[in-house]
Amino acid sequence: MSAPPAQSAIATTASPTWADVNRDVIRTVGMPGDKYFAWMCLVALTLACGAAAWAWQIWVGIGAAGKRTPQMWAMYITTFVFWIGIGHAGTLISAILYLFRAKWRTSIYRGAEAMTVFAVMTAGLFPLIHAGRMWFAYWLLPYPNQRYLWPNFKSPLVWDVFAISTYLTISVVFFIVGLVPDIAALRDSATGIKRKIYAVMSLGWEGSDQQWRHYRRAYGLLASLATPLVLSVHSVVSFDFAMALVPGWHSTLFAPFFVDGAIFSGFAMVLILMLPMRYLFDWYAYIADKHLDAMAKLILVTSLVLSYFYSCEVFTAWYSGDHFERASVFAKATKEYAWAYWLMYSCNSVTPLVFFWRKARTHVPTLYIVSILVLIGMWFERFNIIVPGLGHDFYPYTWGTYYPTVTDTTIIVGSFAWFFILFLGFIRVMPSLSIVEVKEVLPHPLKHGHH
Amino acid sequence: MSVMDRRSFFKVVATTGAVAAAGGCGPSAEQLIPYVVPPDNIVPGIPAYFASVCRECPSGCGLIAKNRDGRVIKLEGNPDHPSNTGTLCVRAHAGLQGLYHPDRFRGALSGGKPIEGDVAEKLLADKLGALAKARQGGRIAVVSGLETGSLGRLMDEWVRLLGARPRIAYEPLGYEALRAANRVAFGRDAIPDYAIGDATYLVSFGADFLETWLNCEGYTADFSRMHAFYQGKQGTFVHVEPRLSLTAANADEWLRNAPGTEGLIALAMLKIILDEGLQAPGTDLATLRAAVRAADVEGAATASGIPADTIKVVARDLAKSRGGLVLGGGMAASGSTATDALVAINLLNAAIGAVGTRVRFGSASPFGKVSPYSDMVALTQAMAGGQIELLVLVDVNPVYAMPPKSGFAEALGKVPLVVALASRPNETTARAHLVLPILHPLESWGDYMSEEGVLGLMQPAMGPVQIEGKAVAARATGDLLLSVGRQALGLEEGKGPLKWSAFQDFLRDEWQKGSREYGGSGPFGDYWEAALRRGGVWRAPGSPTVSLRPEAGRLQAGVATLDGEGSHVLVVYPSSRFYDGRGGDRPWLHEVPDSITQVAWDSWAEIPAETAQKMGITRGDLVKLTSPHGAIELPAYPTDLVHPGIVAVAMGQGHKYPGAFAQQGNAAPGTVSQANFLNVGANPIELLPAAPDPASGGLPHLAVKVAIARTGGRRPLAIPQAQFNQDDREIAQWVGLGPARELELRGKPPEHASRPGMYPAVKYPEYRWGMTVDVDRCTGCQACVLACQSENNVPTVGKAQVAYGRIQHWIRVERWQEGTAAKPVNMFLPMFCQHCEIAPCEPVCPVYAAYHTKEGLNGQVYNRCVGTRYCGNNCPYHVRKFNWFNYTWPAPLDLQLNPDVTVRQLGVMEKCTMCLQRIEAAKGTAREAGRKVADGDLQTACQQTCPTQAITFGNLKDGGALVSKLSGSTRSYHVLEELGTTPAVTYLKKVVRAEPAGGHDQGGHKA
Amino acid sequence: MTTTSVLGVFAHVDTTLQAIRDLRAKGFSDLTVYTPIPVEEIEHEVEKVRPLSKVRLFTLVGALTGTATGFFLTIWSSLKWELVTGGKAPVSIPPFVIIAFELTILLGGLASALAILVLGQLPRLKPSPTYDPRFTLDRFGVAVACAPDKVESVQSLLSTAGAEEVRR
Repeated sequence: MSAPPAQSAIATTASPTWADVNRDVIRTVGMPGDKYFAWMCLVALTLACGAAAWAWQIWVGIGAAGKRTPQMWAMYITTFVFWIGIGHAGTLISAILYLFRAKWRTSIYRGAEAMTVFAVMTAGLFPLIHAGRMWFAYWLLPYPNQRYLWPNFKSPLVWDVFAISTYLTISVVFFIVGLVPDIAALRDSATGIKRKIYAVMSLGWEGSDQQWRHYRRAYGLLASLATPLVLSVHSVVSFDFAMALVPGWHSTLFAPFFVDGAIFSGFAMVLILMLPMRYLFDWYAYIADKHLDAMAKLILVTSLVLSYFYSCEVFTAWYSGDHFERASVFAKATKEYAWAYWLMYSCNSVTPLVFFWRKARTHVPTLYIVSILVLIGMWFERFNIIVPGLGHDFYPYTWGTYYPTVTDTTIIVGSFAWFFILFLGFIRVMPSLSIVEVKEVLPHPLKHGHH
Repeated sequence: MSVMDRRSFFKVVATTGAVAAAGGCGPSAEQLIPYVVPPDNIVPGIPAYFASVCRECPSGCGLIAKNRDGRVIKLEGNPDHPSNTGTLCVRAHAGLQGLYHPDRFRGALSGGKPIEGDVAEKLLADKLGALAKARQGGRIAVVSGLETGSLGRLMDEWVRLLGARPRIAYEPLGYEALRAANRVAFGRDAIPDYAIGDATYLVSFGADFLETWLNCEGYTADFSRMHAFYQGKQGTFVHVEPRLSLTAANADEWLRNAPGTEGLIALAMLKIILDEGLQAPGTDLATLRAAVRAADVEGAATASGIPADTIKVVARDLAKSRGGLVLGGGMAASGSTATDALVAINLLNAAIGAVGTRVRFGSASPFGKVSPYSDMVALTQAMAGGQIELLVLVDVNPVYAMPPKSGFAEALGKVPLVVALASRPNETTARAHLVLPILHPLESWGDYMSEEGVLGLMQPAMGPVQIEGKAVAARATGDLLLSVGRQALGLEEGKGPLKWSAFQDFLRDEWQKGSREYGGSGPFGDYWEAALRRGGVWRAPGSPTVSLRPEAGRLQAGVATLDGEGSHVLVVYPSSRFYDGRGGDRPWLHEVPDSITQVAWDSWAEIPAETAQKMGITRGDLVKLTSPHGAIELPAYPTDLVHPGIVAVAMGQGHKYPGAFAQQGNAAPGTVSQANFLNVGANPIELLPAAPDPASGGLPHLAVKVAIARTGGRRPLAIPQAQFNQDDREIAQWVGLGPARELELRGKPPEHASRPGMYPAVKYPEYRWGMTVDVDRCTGCQACVLACQSENNVPTVGKAQVAYGRIQHWIRVERWQEGTAAKPVNMFLPMFCQHCEIAPCEPVCPVYAAYHTKEGLNGQVYNRCVGTRYCGNNCPYHVRKFNWFNYTWPAPLDLQLNPDVTVRQLGVMEKCTMCLQRIEAAKGTAREAGRKVADGDLQTACQQTCPTQAITFGNLKDGGALVSKLSGSTRSYHVLEELGTTPAVTYLKKVVRAEPAGGHDQGGHKA
Repeated sequence: MTTTSVLGVFAHVDTTLQAIRDLRAKGFSDLTVYTPIPVEEIEHEVEKVRPLSKVRLFTLVGALTGTATGFFLTIWSSLKWELVTGGKAPVSIPPFVIIAFELTILLGGLASALAILVLGQLPRLKPSPTYDPRFTLDRFGVAVACAPDKVESVQSLLSTAGAEEVRR
């Protein structure tokens, strides 16, 4: 899949050589500076608070979180769906864009994949945090037992268990397979104990034609398996709502709606992670304006699609003439949670519109601010589905307002710390830019000029 | 015939299954159960049932106590007892929490310090003896509650022997004016029984007979007999009251009058009846005419704010109905004009021929024997004057119940020795020098006459409660009086007065004397045993001839005079939950919401909406009510369901219980601490004047005007129901009387099942359990809620949790309002798990904790539940309750827990099971008899206690079962039917006489 | 008979290609080509003489196993524990399809990963004699296994093709 150098995706004046790539990537791996440790400490501290809050909640009971009748789900499930959504960009880039041979993916996909794995690992915590008796959460798994106690395979929650564990496994496999040749490169540049460690992790990769041929086939097949998976995972997660009776949940719209939103927020997160890395690691040669532009465009498109789905939601509520649906939408837009509703619209449907301007698409501060707003907006999208949706459903007797508590808020902040501690750790021990794939899109070394 | 001793008696009763009584009356359950050879045929695990009498209020309903392994775990009404025929109210159910109250006295106290019981008794006996010897008996005063049985007679005998002042039978709600009015009108110092059930047209002037008035439980049943829609017919009920009470909410027409104008309205009606010659034949026209000389319909209309036309229509219909009955109580039975107003009402009853037929002096109410409040005032003066040296208070709490201005509390200080006989600490025991703990009625012998000719018998349903494995060192009041009396007078056991070794023996002798009156022929042993089994004896009521006295014509009805310059009239009304306040230390009663406002815990001031708006007061703002006699602070509850000129506050809260449990409660970990747990709210009595109403000698509850002021503080109220407007969701449905009759005559039942379904038909091999709830019958009394709570080990969670939508009740009584504020139609809808056939909660559970049983129940497997709470979200009725915390029952409340029902732990979902444990028990009995469970074999707890039989339970597969018939009724519907959940619970529409304004006919359902 | 291997190190794609072609022409078929990245031209050249990779077989078997497991687990367990929820039949296929789908992807993916290890003979405990660390940087290598007497000709072939370095 080498490209004629003329169409090389990296459009910098002095295009780096293959040796430069090894150098530029490998130097990011190794002993970090004090600034890095300072950040790590901050993140670790936050994580500790989150863990403590969770311990407290397990001790006194789920009542420590602000849940109530009818909002028996609230911020935990919101954040769960949020992280699952973030986890979509990675596999999307490495699978779908791979199949479409979109060259600009090469310099961001490694970071995106790492983000995916860690985001899913974060999301995976929330079902546990949320369960009233988390110590029995393993009952959702179909493990053999002499009493024939099995999970209820008709329950969307069990679908979740399968979808998410599959997604995590496949993402991790994909991630590791991609890493192997790069670790081999690390190994060959390292010395001493480091060399030994990398030698083991690289599985003794040598890049012989024998290895490459199976590797490339398998990689292609993995990509084609992962593609339907990406689309299915968030569809299945959306079934948690679509399969329920609650007005505003019970809708066939949800699968595509959630998938689009996931890609939307995923790319925002990629930008949030990549822009600092580009600056700190001085990777301007590899993550060029072209890449930013491409991602901005994707965010713009997904945002427009999302706005379409939003209008569908409102339209169907009105057109169905269903009293409950109408009341639910009306309450969301006008009652105690209206602020969240309109915040969602302005973040997800309005702010990304700036990307219609070419300049904005490559203007780093703009990109950064919009990405953050998009993440906020997408968190509140899930919040608006769950909390106000439940708060104004069929039965007026129980309508009411949910209030967050210190406990659940701390746990949720802690989940972000958990994600970042994993990611920060990763970028210091592994190549967060794919050596092999970046080389692939560089001009190949030819003796007799380019024909 | 040899007098049967206690032990051999139990051998006899044991045959009736009275087993555990012996267990109970032995040292303790805990010590008896582990015995290898249990004494007196104790069978662990088999419940025994004891008939007794409920003593939570003076109406004295018959009850059956379910004793399991030596502990009473549930109270149910005694079906044989005439006054309540098998049902109980909230207060009766909560009696259990009085029995198992964590603050119960463990032993005698002297100046708050524990002392030996016999020492304490000797202190009292010596003092009594000294005074008696010195012929100073007049310096001894005895105050007790209303005791219409042997204990009352024993106390009077005791008092007589000591030469003490006549005993005062003190009841904060004495209805003195009713008696006064009967003295004036009929020359009878009594309160009759009102045969509400026989009336076809009922007019009530403030009588809250569905809440607290006289025999309210019996009256609720009677009301449903006269008013519930049956075979196309329905009686009419008009209620006159300044605020929408629960009773008013059940009226076909609620006339919102200015407080204290009831007399004028009654006279106006009388005038119209006489003018139009509608009076019943054979009435004493002279007296009636004399009475209405000054009457003036227009004047009454302007004074009361009720249109003259309305008064005219009601008067005519009342008279024409020929089955009319007029009640006077509540506001009308209180205040300066009360007596005249009630005389007018008596005259009205006479005019329509109700006296003697529906007003029955033959079966007079026990309230007729209450000592008037003026006696207490006199006593207080005597105490203050130092004329009382020894005051014995038997299970009364005047410090709380009397207005502070009466100075009773201060006067106590002037009495050298104040002795309180009580089982739990309260404001009065806190000020007593000597506290002698007494047993709870469920632990003691006794009897109570709940109406003329109805004599209930009480037997110990269990032994003294154990706290931390140690039985409380308390004695039955009777036993105490006997031994103390003997000590004081130097008498000895076995001879002379007070010869009885135990009160039980005295009781038997009393019954032997009285047996003839109740047709007791044959050996007394059989009579006694039969009475024990049945819970008492009753005879046909006499029917004395009652005639009007000319004095009745000389009444002058006017508007009640009120003191104070305040802007609003203060209306103090008895609480349907706390009665006069004696229920104030029961967590269950605090947590069950008030039916009208749906406020749980804390008390509130009902403030007219427009006033609130003017003053910028919102719900939960603290307001200060100031009268010339005192001031209280409590949260505001703005409402348009009260007369614009009044502020209404319920009695019963604002206690200052000294007990530890009362003060801290039991806060679940992580919840806000429950400071002042049971000492919440405010006591409106503090605003009332102390002087008794001269005409009747009663405490006027309608006497002052109050000023309202915002304090600036807030104390949000705990209200589980978010709103009373059902937002066109047709949760509670109604149908006009006309259409209902039409349907009843030739309508076909709506076909609920005809909906096309996607799923295979569910098969039920043997039973499909189902229920019907008649919204037309439900009066919203909340009894089912507490019946369920005590049967199913439902925890109380405290104010903060209730306020945050975490109330744990499995059944809730919702109030839905339609029409305008002036003419509201209120529907009470008991809502609980609907046991849907296509249950949304079931398929979403990842671990099969929720599933559908082969008997059509929606099963919930607690120990399989992981707590994802998905089912809770997906239940459109939100009847699933989650255990947010580990809820606790501080000892000895835990002794009340039902061993047949799991106590749910932290993190699991729970809900109504249709009393699965009862179903299983019934199936067991049926299996032994080799048959299937037949209709009526079992009742669910909520159904059993419902005074109006609004709830029916049974097997829907049995076409003959009542539940199947009712499910097919022309009024039947399912809540949120359009969701296609096909519930096993069918509701029957309320039948309304006056269709609510703007109301659309709810014959059909939403498409 | 014993074979020795000769390694030629190249700096360019085209020279490497040239070397392979020449060697093939001279009948040296036992080649091992090291590349830092998969280069299509080279791969194309090498694959000519080889059957198609068996990876897809692994994937297919894995995926089908997943599907079968999914349906078996769901149907069998609901038959073992025949509970009605929400009026649905204990065995209702539509929801089970989701489980089957997920397991298809899961086992298919794992099988493909397994294929890399099995077919690519990984992990390899110690580097092959002809391997050179530069092959993960920017150099290409062509290792020829040949009879000892053919070594010279191979070496000359490699150098003429443009190898920077030739060693045995």
